[in-house]
Amino acid sequence: MSAIYSAFPTPPWLTTLILFAIAVLLLYMARTSAHGAINSIFRMLHNGLRIGARSVALAEKRLSVRNRDVLLALGRDHAERELNREFFRINRFVERDLGGYPQVQRAIQAQVTQISEDYKASAEVPPPSPDWVQAVESVAKLQVKEKSNSNLTSRILEDIYNAAEDQHRETLKEYREAMTERNNRLRQMAPFWRKLSNTVDQVGKHLQELVTRSNNIDRQMEHFEEINRGTDKAARRLKASNSIQFCVALLFVLFAAGGAFFNFHLIALPMSEMVGAASRVGGVKVADVAALVIIFLEITMGMFLLECLGWTRLFPIIGAMDDKSRVRIAIACGTFLLVLAGVEAGLAFMRDQIAADYSALRASLAGAGSAPEEEAVNAWIPRVTGMFLGFTVPLALTLVAIPLEYLINTGRNIFGMLLEYLLRLLAILLRLAGNVSRHLGHLTLYLYDMLIVLPLWLEGLWLASRRASSGAGGAEFGGPDGNADGGSSFYRGNEVSKNA
Amino acid sequence: MRRLWIAVLVFSLFGCSDGGGQANNYQRGVYLLLDTSGTYTEELVKAKQIINYLLAYLEPGDTFVVARIDSGSFSEKDIVAKVTLDARPSAANRQKREFASTIADFVTNVKSSAYTDISGGLLQAIEYLNEARVGKKHIYIFSDLKEDLPANFKRDFDFTLDGFVVKALNVTKLRSDNVNPVEYLERVADWQARVVQGGGTWGIINDLDRADALAL
Repeated sequence: MSAIYSAFPTPPWLTTLILFAIAVLLLYMARTSAHGAINSIFRMLHNGLRIGARSVALAEKRLSVRNRDVLLALGRDHAERELNREFFRINRFVERDLGGYPQVQRAIQAQVTQISEDYKASAEVPPPSPDWVQAVESVAKLQVKEKSNSNLTSRILEDIYNAAEDQHRETLKEYREAMTERNNRLRQMAPFWRKLSNTVDQVGKHLQELVTRSNNIDRQMEHFEEINRGTDKAARRLKASNSIQFCVALLFVLFAAGGAFFNFHLIALPMSEMVGAASRVGGVKVADVAALVIIFLEITMGMFLLECLGWTRLFPIIGAMDDKSRVRIAIACGTFLLVLAGVEAGLAFMRDQIAADYSALRASLAGAGSAPEEEAVNAWIPRVTGMFLGFTVPLALTLVAIPLEYLINTGRNIFGMLLEYLLRLLAILLRLAGNVSRHLGHLTLYLYDMLIVLPLWLEGLWLASRRASSGAGGAEFGGPDGNADGGSSFYRGNEVSKNA
Repeated sequence: MRRLWIAVLVFSLFGCSDGGGQANNYQRGVYLLLDTSGTYTEELVKAKQIINYLLAYLEPGDTFVVARIDSGSFSEKDIVAKVTLDARPSAANRQKREFASTIADFVTNVKSSAYTDISGGLLQAIEYLNEARVGKKHIYIFSDLKEDLPANFKRDFDFTLDGFVVKALNVTKLRSDNVNPVEYLERVADWQARVVQGGGTWGIINDLDRADALAL
């Protein structure tokens, strides 16, 4: 800088002023080109950003459609599974409870027949009227004229009376016996009535349950049809359900990761006794790698086992196998899993031994001698607990396949949703940047004109005087106001120069 | 093609494993020099505690050597005990017990030496640890750092201590140091300068109750 000043004989302030004046003059002369260049640069930037924003918005729309398709497909698959399960349940219910309906019907008919017969048998039969009543009446109407006849009639009537008394007693006795028998039959009918009533109630309950299940299936079918139609309501419901399932699955997978971490620490130390603790692979101890491999093997076996049992559907190839092959694989995986769990129990036992040895060594090195005997009394508690956990934790870890399946299935959609939001945000940011670049272009032109405000002012005066002399109106100062087209073009501050 | 894949797999597994003839970056080597000159032998009970402490925290694969500093220390004969811990923890624990027993015997039966050849001992430690191909090299000098060489012994050489950590332990103050503390400071500064010039890292620990100071 000082070299520039030294090149001029004038004082520095004057040199600065002269240089500034020259620069302003040059800027004024290059105004049209400079405005064009600035316009081009910022227009290019603005257009590029707008195109970028439009492309991103388009990609976001496509992704949204794709996400919706995937979501609906996933929902359809779930709905199908639920329907299948419900049909399976109802089929089993019908086979188990309503399959024996013919027998129930026969039993009811037999009971009804029995009751009907008993009812008929219990009907009251009126006692027969004595045939000799008319004869008694005739004898009674005979006129008694003689005393001997009177005695005879009296005897006859007495005999008849005795005979009637005897017959009445017998008839009454028979009637009482018949009544007793009818009462007995009616008493015998009571359990049949109760049994019949219970059977009918049971059938009624089964039918009620069948109706409930049918309603459930109807509801699910309705849901399934909604998904098939691809309605917004179904998509919204699936999205909400998907997010909840993802969170729950993630939580359970984290729990499982905690279990795996615990399991790792249970077997890492004893593994060092087997494969050595000195060698490393990529900075990690080989013993740790071996422990991790065992845990991953257990999880893999568990996943295959659940896949073969049809609890999960992570591997379509296993699902497509015939039942016999799947059962064989399931037995093999289960056996391998049990063996590994047994190995872990052994390793847990070994860990306890090594830990005790370490403890004894440190005690002896510290000069404390061997551990006190009181501790050894309860040493079996952590040992047995460790072995128990070593055996059970791998088996429990196998169940991680279920939340893992949910996590994978729902994770794709959640990831897609996040990507969709990100793209939307990016589109907004690009559009914002485009607008900012357009206004920056205006600002740059304003600043440029501010630098050469003096020549512009002189130019305005000259133009005004020229218009006044020629009588032509409408000339205006070449300021930027009103020239900037907010919609499609930039500030055209070069109009004054063009006019000039 | 299948064989090629197997070869690639085996190579990738064993190629990235640490071991073989190259230096193992994760295995540690500790060389402890014990000053047995004059009245300093009385301090060796503390050294035994330090050795036990280090033994407790050394891991399988680590190397630990204890050597004495006497009249001529640049010799393998001055090594009291040495061990490279087995990869199996149970075997390593057995080795540690035997090592501790050897050190206990040494501390009980040690005899004072007439001279103190610290430089020779340090050179021997450097040679040994370089040969052991360990990743981290620690040299502990349990001494008052007062070198006293026999006649005709030359120890005016520079050490090559790149990658070494050298720590002086229990640097006791001599009677003359009490008269003139500058002697003590100069002695420590002199050793520090020799170690740092050789490319090593220097440290001094006088408070042996600080367990973190002895951390490897």
